[in-house]
Amino acid sequence: MVYSYILLILIICCNLSLISVPTVAELSIFHIRIPDLRSIMDITAELRKIVGERLSVSPSELYCYSSDASQVKGMPDYVVRPTSTDEVSRIVRLAYENEIPVTARGAGTGLAGGAVPVGGGIVLDMSGMNRILEIDIDNIQIVVEPGVIQDVLNDALKPYGFFFPPNPGSSAMCTIGGMIAYNASGMRCVKYGTTRHYVRDLEVVLADGAVIHTGSKMLKSAAGYDLTQLIIGSEGTLGIVTKASLKIAPLPKTRKLVITSFRNAEIAGQAVVKTFSNGVIPSACEILDRVSLQVLKRYDPKLVLPSEGDVILFEVDGTENSAREAAEQIIEVCSPLAISIKLAESEKEMADIWAARKLVGAAVSRLDPTKTRIYVGEDVGVPIKKIPELLRRAQEISEKFNLPAMKYGHIGDGNLHLALFIDVLNKDEWDRLNRAADLIHRTAIELGGTVSSEHGVGAARGQYMEAQWGPALEVMRAIKKALDPKGILNPGKLGL
Amino acid sequence: MRAVKNEGKKETKRAEEMKESGISEAREKSETNGKEQPFEIDRRSVYKCVQCGTCRSVCPVFDVVGWESANTRGRMLIIKSLLEGRPPSEDVLSSLASCTTCGICAAKCPAGANPPDVVEAARAQLVKCGVTTEAQEKLKAAITTSGNSFGETRSRQHWLSDTERSNLPEKSDYVYFVGCFDSYRYPEFAKKTFEVLQRFGVTLLPDEQCCASPLLRTGFREAAGKIMEHNLEQIRKVGAHTVITGCAGCYTTLKNNYPEELRVISLPEFLAEHLEELNLKHLDITVTYHDPCHLGRHNKVYDAPRKVIQAICTLKEMKNIKENSRCCGGGGGVRIGYPDISLALAKKRIEDVPEGVDYLVTSCPLCVRNLRDAGGDIEIIDIVELVAMALE
Repeated sequence: MVYSYILLILIICCNLSLISVPTVAELSIFHIRIPDLRSIMDITAELRKIVGERLSVSPSELYCYSSDASQVKGMPDYVVRPTSTDEVSRIVRLAYENEIPVTARGAGTGLAGGAVPVGGGIVLDMSGMNRILEIDIDNIQIVVEPGVIQDVLNDALKPYGFFFPPNPGSSAMCTIGGMIAYNASGMRCVKYGTTRHYVRDLEVVLADGAVIHTGSKMLKSAAGYDLTQLIIGSEGTLGIVTKASLKIAPLPKTRKLVITSFRNAEIAGQAVVKTFSNGVIPSACEILDRVSLQVLKRYDPKLVLPSEGDVILFEVDGTENSAREAAEQIIEVCSPLAISIKLAESEKEMADIWAARKLVGAAVSRLDPTKTRIYVGEDVGVPIKKIPELLRRAQEISEKFNLPAMKYGHIGDGNLHLALFIDVLNKDEWDRLNRAADLIHRTAIELGGTVSSEHGVGAARGQYMEAQWGPALEVMRAIKKALDPKGILNPGKLGL
Repeated sequence: MRAVKNEGKKETKRAEEMKESGISEAREKSETNGKEQPFEIDRRSVYKCVQCGTCRSVCPVFDVVGWESANTRGRMLIIKSLLEGRPPSEDVLSSLASCTTCGICAAKCPAGANPPDVVEAARAQLVKCGVTTEAQEKLKAAITTSGNSFGETRSRQHWLSDTERSNLPEKSDYVYFVGCFDSYRYPEFAKKTFEVLQRFGVTLLPDEQCCASPLLRTGFREAAGKIMEHNLEQIRKVGAHTVITGCAGCYTTLKNNYPEELRVISLPEFLAEHLEELNLKHLDITVTYHDPCHLGRHNKVYDAPRKVIQAICTLKEMKNIKENSRCCGGGGGVRIGYPDISLALAKKRIEDVPEGVDYLVTSCPLCVRNLRDAGGDIEIIDIVELVAMALE
């Protein structure tokens, strides 16, 4: 009878896919800690009181929240979809009291497992908090909820002649909350900066459920620590963002695109360095190596791209005159190094290239259906001057492990997206992939760079934080401990 | 099963890949017969998905439901979990059975995955494992017992008079495949369509049955095979080399699931080819056009219906068209299985109607039905009704 009761408990636990649990009870005969089912049911009931039907413990639903676009996996125990700050606060308070991990999630487009509940617990699906609360053109700022989709926001701002500049490749689906949590940027960061540069105030739910504001509508403030900047990029480990005041920028009058190609990626890198040292700041500066080029051409054969070489796309924006002058200067600087240079002839030509570029990461399967792009080692960055060296060493790593690779990315800010692709049914290729990714991360650190330029650390890159930060990591740990003493906010992330 | 031309190819390919990879397939016990049933899907078609979430931003079901399991990426993840050994259970149904197979995810997928195919294959595996919804079973029972998706016992040709029926040519190169919807819910569409097609010597099948689309879309491939074989025999009896249909669901099934030698044309394509002979008069109205998913995205028939409409009146496009067209919510078994979701999708689609149009025209009776159910001020008509107006 006792044994069948224990067996029943274990079966139920397995069915609920409980990797980690809210509270545990000691069962001495097995010397293992297993879930206190009564607590689980109590927590379920409490969560249901807060969010009603917007709670799920269905194994299939939990499975859908057990990953993002990375290779990190972790099964939640509960998924809730809050619709207000008050609900978030009450959920976090409940989690705090019961020491349950809480992981906030936007659209789940992350590439480092940041939104994956590696410690189990509650996943807060914030994508339902998706209202644009205020468009305040006079103050050149807006107030939004974290679930607003980046492209949706920019569609709303367009009639006013403004935009929110950070634009990740996933802008059609990623949320502003996720962008803030990971300090996302994208192609135009080289001129416009990252999400960090556009946040004025955040409403944040702290680990104990308290709600604070970190800033104001002021352009500047000299009063106290800058908590806004602390929260940005903290990956949900210090608090949950429930509202954000963002600075916006006027849409440029015009954009021009110079499409250049070079004999090899290293020369392309030299052209970028030369362009910057000549005083031109493009609004985007992207590299597409020859493999990426093939993939893009397969994705859309009508794209107006060079037929050979490694390509740099230089975009300049401003007034008609300033953009034209900048484009001419780029053409002049790159001419001695390039094998082809072309100015995009129409806005449609430009828009098509950018749309395709945004999706290049996943498009490799179109070139070879047996290959899948796996997002590991995909976001390293180095100082601009080191770009040619990073490109060369990335190529060496690809050859050393005999893994085909695309090299593309925001070369203008030193951010290289190395896309390694493998046959996912081949275990040996997985092994080589992981070793190649490890080496590319270590190479970036060696070159004075970072293991992540814009995708974040999450659970995928935590192991490199010590090497990248040294004693500074202890300061981060101290901050974490001060703000989240029970360690319930997105545990297992940032190498903390 | 001879009639289901795509299946065999997929399964053979997968078996080869499995052998090469050395990875053993997941096996689960069937809930119906206790025997072990392999959950078999071409793994590569599933692993193409890199979980980037592009589909999440366009999936119309997710748009109204909000849970991750209700978008394409969630469905692909759940299918992955089944392939990796999670036992199939009813828990997966609300995700896998709620896909309309509209295909906008496939159109947008940067990795070139084809989730509707994967979802249909997964549904077939779930059927094999005995995991189905009540609505699915009801639909299957209706089709297998009555030969139509409504369980109607009336003659499929009830909309013809006895004289018209007896005068039908027994042999013809062209046959009009009416479909369940036009036969039983919109016999006026069937009548008008046949009136036009008769001018070109088109006949009807003596004993047409459901094209099997609802069975294929919801996973009953074996049952579908039998009914498709029946229809094929009928087509052979008439001696037709070309089948014309006014239903988008029938069209994609006849075209893509029946043997390749069969030439299948949608009604808009046939009308567009014969515009001059039809001698249509111009109507002083403005209409908009809804692309049925199974005619548009699945088969790229975008221009023919527009050509017909523009030969008659002014066309003002909807907000999202052609490849970006939003699903009416009726397909994939969702209308019958999840009526609330289906209706919510239809209402969203109606929001895409531009100002200042007299009719919303489409070329699928299921779309007509679902969009009409959504209400709104706009009158929804089938393209054949527009043509009939121009013939009067």
